[in-house]
Formats: sequence, structure tokens, C-alpha cells
Amino acid sequence: MVMSAPFMVSETAGLVLAVVLGLFFGLFLERGGMGNPHKLTGIFYLTDFSVPKVMFVAMLVAGTGLYLLSDLKVLDMQRVWIVPTFFWPQLLGGAIFGVGFLFSGYCPGTAVAGFASGRLDALVVMLGIGAGSLLFAVVYPAIEPFYLSSPMEGATLPSVLGINHWVVMVFVYLMAAGMFYAMERYERRK
Amino acid sequence: MEVIMKKNSFWSPYIAGAGLGVTLLATFVIAGWGLGASSAFSLLTGLGLGKLSPAYAQKLTYFSQYLNVEAPLLNWVLFEVMGLFVGALVASSLTGNFKLRFDKPEHMGTGTRLLIAFGGGILIGFASRLARGCTSGVALSGGAQLAIAGWIFVIAMFVSGFIAAALFRRLWS
Repeated sequence: MVMSAPFMVSETAGLVLAVVLGLFFGLFLERGGMGNPHKLTGIFYLTDFSVPKVMFVAMLVAGTGLYLLSDLKVLDMQRVWIVPTFFWPQLLGGAIFGVGFLFSGYCPGTAVAGFASGRLDALVVMLGIGAGSLLFAVVYPAIEPFYLSSPMEGATLPSVLGINHWVVMVFVYLMAAGMFYAMERYERRK
Repeated sequence: MEVIMKKNSFWSPYIAGAGLGVTLLATFVIAGWGLGASSAFSLLTGLGLGKLSPAYAQKLTYFSQYLNVEAPLLNWVLFEVMGLFVGALVASSLTGNFKLRFDKPEHMGTGTRLLIAFGGGILIGFASRLARGCTSGVALSGGAQLAIAGWIFVIAMFVSGFIAAALFRRLWS
């Protein structure tokens, strides 16, 4: 079979598709309760497990499909942009992000979903995200060496561990299954 | 009572997650990259500053990636986020979940909520630039690709969120 995906479309068609894919992104976020700051922060107080459920199911479905289409030679993985890894900046970034997530009650995409369900506090968070981006741009010259440190290009768990991607996937399935089982049990007990 | 019931009639998070996963997979197949969100905020901030104070904006090397391109608003993530807004607006409206409100923890004052919303937003905006993306672009998209970036971001985010929640026990609970 000839590999055709990812499709190289014109810029205009690409932007139209961006809106269409965004529509579904917003639909599923809102329907999953991901525009509601009480549900979003519930994980950190073990009162609502919607965030890890939505997130890990989405990752598993998309990841399984991606590697399956690649193995079936329908999709050329070489032409898919792999999220680049910069170990320490992303570890620190994730840690700062967690605090901001807890305080604000949202993350960038869910703040948009929250605003779209009429939440004006989400609009304040969105303005804060803009201010945080500005702060980063202002201090960028001072932190550039750290920002560019520990690069690992498009490193993935299979490539770093030197094992087949399905071995990693099975490990992720088992981890997710155990996590979902524990969450369901915990919720039923409450 | 019926209205309240309806307002909380979210889908099962597993179903919503599966739908989101298919959307992400379609994005990989069609565009060749994943979903994003935070860079749209950075782009608009950079362009806004470029209008307000062109000289100062040009001095900020990080923003030059937005200012020195031909049509910066024709940005893939920006269009995707506009779709996100409309998709969530349609979903919340059709299900009766749309309501103008200022959402906050029950016992929190409006001033405090404003402060943690804006302050938390600053942390998120800064952290997303440092990590080259947020929960969408790095955690979800990178995690699905089994990229190291996605998994270190997810783990760091949850660990730090749990620690912060232990320190601020009455913030949202």
C-alpha cells in the first residue's frame, strides 16, 4: 500500500481542517466535563477522576491508532512531527504548570472550553496565560541556556529503551487499566 | 431539580476521552502533528505587544517568531483553538450547560478567585513556554506518541499538583 498520510494539504485547507478538528476537540472537552474547574481540580483532592480518565483514554486511543497505522504502512511516521524532548525544562515546566493548574482551575485548552460554557473566571485565566507568555518572553534571554538544555530531539520511550513500541504500549495499557480499576473502586467506596 | 440534573449531564469520561483520542489521531493523520492550545495565547500576546509597542516587541527575541512572518494570524493552532471555542460553546448550549457565571470554590471570595485565576494563569503561561507546550501539545499529543516529553510533563504536573493541593487543602475541596 502506498503511504499517503499525513496528508500534505494547502495552507487554506489546513486552516479549515484546523477549525473542524478544533470543533471536535472542544465538543469532547466540554462533554467530558473539562470546562468545569471543580471537576478539573478534583483529581488533586481525589474527589473527581475525570481528568486522568479523559486524558489517558485519549492518549491510548490516539497512540494505538498512530502506531497501528504506521505498522500497516498507511501512515509514514517519519513525516509525523514528534513532540521534541528537552528533559529538564519540560520537567520544571510540568511542575510549575501543575501549581498553575491547581490555582487557576484550568489549563489553556480547558480554559477556552470553560469560557465557552459561560465561565468568566476562565477568561481571567486566559488573560493570565497571556501575561505568563509575556513574562517568559521578557526573561527569555536570561533563561535561554536552560530552555535549550538537555535536548533529546524526537526521543520516544521505545527509541530510548530500544524496545518495540507495542511492548511499551502493553505496559501503558496495563498501567491505565490498573489506574482505572483503582479509581472506580475508590469512587464506589465513597 | 431537572435543570440541575441536566447541567451535570456530562458524558462518561471514558467516552469523551475516546472521542478526544479519535480527534487527536485524525489530527496526526491529516496534519502530521498533534493538537495544541497554549501557543495561540503566546502568539496573540506577541502580536498584541507588537501593535502596542513595536519597538519593545522587536527587542523580545522570543516573540520574533510571530512578528517577523508574513501572515501570523493564519496560524494552525490559533484556528484550531477558535474551533475548540465554538465546539465547546455549541456543546454547552445544546445541553443547557451554558450559563454566564464567575465560577469559584464555594467559600472563596471574588477577590481571591480573581487573584488565583490570574496568578495561576501566569504560571501556566510561563510553564507552557518553558515546556514548549501544555496539556494538549505536550502531555496529550506527546504522550500518545510515547514521546519522552509527554510523559515527563504529565508526571511532573500531577506530582506537583498533588503537592500543591496538600499544601492548599481548602482551595478547591
